[in-house]
Amino acid sequence: MHLEYFLLLAAALFCIGIYGLVTSRNAVRVLMSIELLLNSVNLNLMAFSNYLDPQGIKGQVFSVFVITIAAAESAVGLAIILSIYRNRDTVDMEQFNLLKW
Amino acid sequence: MAQFLLQTVWLIPCYAITGAVTSALWSPALIRRTGPRPAGYVNVCMTFLAFLHSLSVFPLTWQQPAQQLSLPWLQVAGLDLSFPVEISSVTVGASLVVTGLNLLGQIYAIGYMEMDWGWSRFFALLALFEAGMCSLAFCNSLFFTYIFLEVLTLGTYLIVGTWFNQSLVVTGARDAFLTKRIGDLFLLMGVLAIYPLAGTWNFDELAQWAETAQLDPAVATLVGLALLAGPIGKCAQLPLHLWLDEAMEGPVPSTILRNSVVVATGAWVLIKLQPVIALSPVVLTAMVVIGSVTAVGGTLIAIAQIDVKRSLSYSVSAYMGLVFVAVGTGHTDAALMLILSHALAQALLVMSTGSIVLNSITQDLTQLGGLWSRRPISGLCCLAGIAGLIGLPPLGGFWALLKLADGLWESRPELVAILLVVNGLTGFSLVREFGLIFAGSPKPMTERSPENFWLISLPMMVMMGMTLHLPLILQSLSLLPSWATLNKEAALLLLVSSLLGSGLGAVVYVGQSIPKPIQLPWRRLQSFFAYDLYTPQLYRSSIVFFVDRASRLTDWFDRQVIDGMVNLVGLASLFSGEALKYSNTGQGQFYILTIAFGMAAIALTMSWSFFLH
Repeated sequence: MHLEYFLLLAAALFCIGIYGLVTSRNAVRVLMSIELLLNSVNLNLMAFSNYLDPQGIKGQVFSVFVITIAAAESAVGLAIILSIYRNRDTVDMEQFNLLKW
Repeated sequence: MAQFLLQTVWLIPCYAITGAVTSALWSPALIRRTGPRPAGYVNVCMTFLAFLHSLSVFPLTWQQPAQQLSLPWLQVAGLDLSFPVEISSVTVGASLVVTGLNLLGQIYAIGYMEMDWGWSRFFALLALFEAGMCSLAFCNSLFFTYIFLEVLTLGTYLIVGTWFNQSLVVTGARDAFLTKRIGDLFLLMGVLAIYPLAGTWNFDELAQWAETAQLDPAVATLVGLALLAGPIGKCAQLPLHLWLDEAMEGPVPSTILRNSVVVATGAWVLIKLQPVIALSPVVLTAMVVIGSVTAVGGTLIAIAQIDVKRSLSYSVSAYMGLVFVAVGTGHTDAALMLILSHALAQALLVMSTGSIVLNSITQDLTQLGGLWSRRPISGLCCLAGIAGLIGLPPLGGFWALLKLADGLWESRPELVAILLVVNGLTGFSLVREFGLIFAGSPKPMTERSPENFWLISLPMMVMMGMTLHLPLILQSLSLLPSWATLNKEAALLLLVSSLLGSGLGAVVYVGQSIPKPIQLPWRRLQSFFAYDLYTPQLYRSSIVFFVDRASRLTDWFDRQVIDGMVNLVGLASLFSGEALKYSNTGQGQFYILTIAFGMAAIALTMSWSFFLH
């Protein structure tokens, strides 16, 4: 078990998250992809704290903060989605292109 | 007092300038109620002052060495542009002729321009001419000579364009300006090229330099040709002769001056430059060739004209051609005398024909006729002018032509032949004019043609007196050859050619046995000379054509290529902005994709070196 494997896994998860973030049509699914991204970041943080900083484990403290902020962020995100849904009756990302050229 | 007058000869041009400035006060825009006449009177007074000044100074300079004055003008770096004034009998004599002719011309103009409201402009321009010519006479520097020639060119443009609501006047003024300007610009090249060679523009120092100058023949030829080009334009020589023909659209009083003195300004410069020009035999040959071709061609054209003024203008070109021949062969004294006699006689001829035109309206020789019995003064003046111009003893033209013929007698007999031919043909053409105007029976246009009032007749008769007295004046100044040194063969030949030419003219045109209008059997030849060798067509198909095409091409190039390239830059940014704005899709996910790609690209570039190793 090396650090690289964790990092690669986290990178893969990040890429999956990016893919989902860019391609999903459902806004909730976009939020879910963001959660995937954040989780991949957490994985990174945990791996680094384990392998590089076993004494201080500052990475774990970072992760706790990230999880907390992620919860708050998805709460706000869902609220935004709800308010858009109330106005436009849809959560399709392709309908939200009013601010173009 | 006399010395004071002598030291202030430079005031002579200033009188005329004062007159020019003052007469502007009576322009119709300023004086709305009292009319323009004082403009003319002021100018006549000023010219009279200048004439008196010249006259009082002339005896003091006679047979005295030339005095030099220098008026500072500009000194920059290594260049000292002082205005050198030469006070000699020749320069004072020239200013005497200029102011005298101007005085008579302006009095004539007061009569001639009676029915015209534009006196202010007209007299201001006449005064400008007078000032320019007097300055030219006194100025002893090639540089300032060029300046005055340009002033006179501008003056010609303005004075030919006096009646600018006539379309032919506008084109004539345009041609007069451009043609003379071309010559002047070549002259400027010569003026600029001679400074590094000689280190001076002073005519005397140029002559001294030319005596010992060791110059590359090609350089001497080029500089000489450039210096020659200015006078070619000024003196209306081939091929820059058309402007004088078209300048006959201007008012007659200005024509008096142009025909007699203004065209002589070029010859004056040429005479002063003779030592420099003589450095190159090619230039001398070119000068003689141009002069003789113009002299013969001009008289032939003059014979074929039906317009009084144009016929005279080609005689002017022809006589200036003789001056070219004289200067080209080094006979500057003969050239000066020729200019003097020609100025008086030609002024008289223009005055008398102008007097006819004023009362008979038409200038068409075929419409005039039978005026001798009713216009004796004009007729006598015309005869005196003819006699004074051609080589008819004892009048001035004879002595000038004789002096030239005598000088050419041994060395260039073929030029003497040309001289005789031109003299005879001029006699024929002038007598033809006289015959068509004064002889025969009255035509509808001349049925009632009264003699003119005193303002026209008086200056004309004074001029006739001057022309007739010219030999006496020359004799009193001992400028005539004595009987012992007289070249009697040349004199006889001149007399014969004059009598032959004018006699033939008299037989054909004064005698009524030959029906008019005369048609030559060779119609093409007749129209060839009547349409002045088709010069307008020649200009239009050569220089004008090329300049026109070249300017159209450059205009097109400027509009399409240069402007197009600049516009292309603008259009490209406009188009790219229009096209690139579609990258703002309004899709949040697309923006995220862009960010992701951007980050990946940045990461890739930053770790590029890492991958390479």
